[in-house]
Amino acid sequence: MNPQFLMDGLIAGAIIGLGAIGVTLTYSILRFSNFAHGELLSWGAYLALGISGALGFLAAGLKQPIGPFSFGWSLPIAAVLAIILTGLLALAVDAALFSSFRRRGSAIIIMVMASFGASLALRSLLEFFFTSKPAYFTQALQIAMKLGGGLRATPDQLAMLVVALVSVIAVHLVMTRTDIGRAMRAVSENPSLAGIAGIDVRRVIRTVWFLGAALACIAGMMSGLIIQIRPYLGHDLLLPLFAAAILGGIGSVPGAMIAGLIIGLCEAFTVQIIGAEWRSAVSFAILIAVLLVRPRGLFGKAS
Amino acid sequence: MTNTVLATSLLVAGYEPDLPIVRGVDFAVTKGEIVILLGPNGAGKSTFVKAIAGMVPVHSGTIHLAGRDITRVAPHRKLAEGLAFVPQTENVFASMSILENLQIAVALLPKAQRAAKIDALFARFPDLAIKPTRLAGALSGGQRQMLAVARALALDPPVLILDEPSAGLSPKTVGEVFAMLKRINGDGVTIILVEQNVKAAMAIADRAVILAEGRIAHEGTPAELADDPLIGKIYLGTARHVSSEAAL
Repeated sequence: MNPQFLMDGLIAGAIIGLGAIGVTLTYSILRFSNFAHGELLSWGAYLALGISGALGFLAAGLKQPIGPFSFGWSLPIAAVLAIILTGLLALAVDAALFSSFRRRGSAIIIMVMASFGASLALRSLLEFFFTSKPAYFTQALQIAMKLGGGLRATPDQLAMLVVALVSVIAVHLVMTRTDIGRAMRAVSENPSLAGIAGIDVRRVIRTVWFLGAALACIAGMMSGLIIQIRPYLGHDLLLPLFAAAILGGIGSVPGAMIAGLIIGLCEAFTVQIIGAEWRSAVSFAILIAVLLVRPRGLFGKAS
Repeated sequence: MTNTVLATSLLVAGYEPDLPIVRGVDFAVTKGEIVILLGPNGAGKSTFVKAIAGMVPVHSGTIHLAGRDITRVAPHRKLAEGLAFVPQTENVFASMSILENLQIAVALLPKAQRAAKIDALFARFPDLAIKPTRLAGALSGGQRQMLAVARALALDPPVLILDEPSAGLSPKTVGEVFAMLKRINGDGVTIILVEQNVKAAMAIADRAVILAEGRIAHEGTPAELADDPLIGKIYLGTARHVSSEAAL
């Protein structure tokens, strides 16, 4: 067996894990499954593409590859702006759509259906602006380096793994060590108690949207850099994202990341053992198995 | 009226807009009092205190705290206004540690004052200081109640409202909780509590208010109410099984 599946699985898993953190936070704090979350990955990738393209156009030097990587400074700079813009996009969708349902105390199913609508609209907008033709951050080719043990990875892939690791640690520290993190966990456990304990629940909700969207943007850019950018990029990851959020335990940030890696590795393993056409069945099988055997997931709280 | 710290005027409140549970309550509490709210199940006691805390919508009427109108103040701002509320159940964050619960409580204070405040709360509630990393969900009923009260007192509120603090506790712990409330009152905090445990609460209360069908039915000192044969019979436990509707 070729051990390369480990590297492929880790990278796919890191993308799924970052996306799943947003799903798990929205689910635990806003209490609905946001099916539009995948679109935040796609929008993040396209925003970064647009901005880095514009930067490269304005200053050609920014397109020059940095060291061993395939991309120039235009991409990291664009990444920062894209993260902010994706966060603002999520806040705008919330203000335009979900907040009015929350105010009316609408049923969860209405929020879920609204998220389907938002998903469709956001995806169609991307197809409208960018067409459904795949796009790439860079045309440069990269040679994979030998890492020993039969593993190979391109510098881009290794950089993305580092970015994913740093992002998860940062979010975990925010959740456990800061006022806003504690407030988020408090709202997740008991919103009405959080209110009388002096926590501004609306501010927490805004933070959740922004944070989830920022991580979605990073995941989308990772996927775009390592594979390609398509309007369906995020939509096609939706099942693995939900499987990871549920496997990790709703509300658990480390759980979502670890579950994402497990799912990525299982997918890569399945592709190697059975065949690529079974890749998407993996998340589905894991999702069903977790719901049957341990519905609270690996790190979830028993309810 | 300068000594009135909390007052409601013609307060109407309830979960549904067309279904008021509290139906016009005029209620005033003097600074330093312990007031106990009594009444049969469904009388609206809990809804009344939740409406004051902002957890139940107010349909009409007003709530004044130290002379300021706080009727429309958002629940999360009431704590900063000086009104702390301890709900009956789920009154601590069970998935978080004792320390984290208190960190949430002091988050409204300037950063420099927080550590000292948490130390002061631990000094006041030494049982909580034994193992601050313990999950609140793993605490006994009495310790949980203590943590809930410590959380509520973190900003030194002039008014503390508690919804059935003795519910589900052992008789010994009930005694400890009431002794704790008496001490807190001694520190100058005005206390309003909803209680089913009438005897224990009457022992520390300055005044009792009886609600029935969303309105104030009677009020007086514990001694006055105990002397009233009908009230004694219905509310003070001398004849528990009398239907309150029939008696009234």
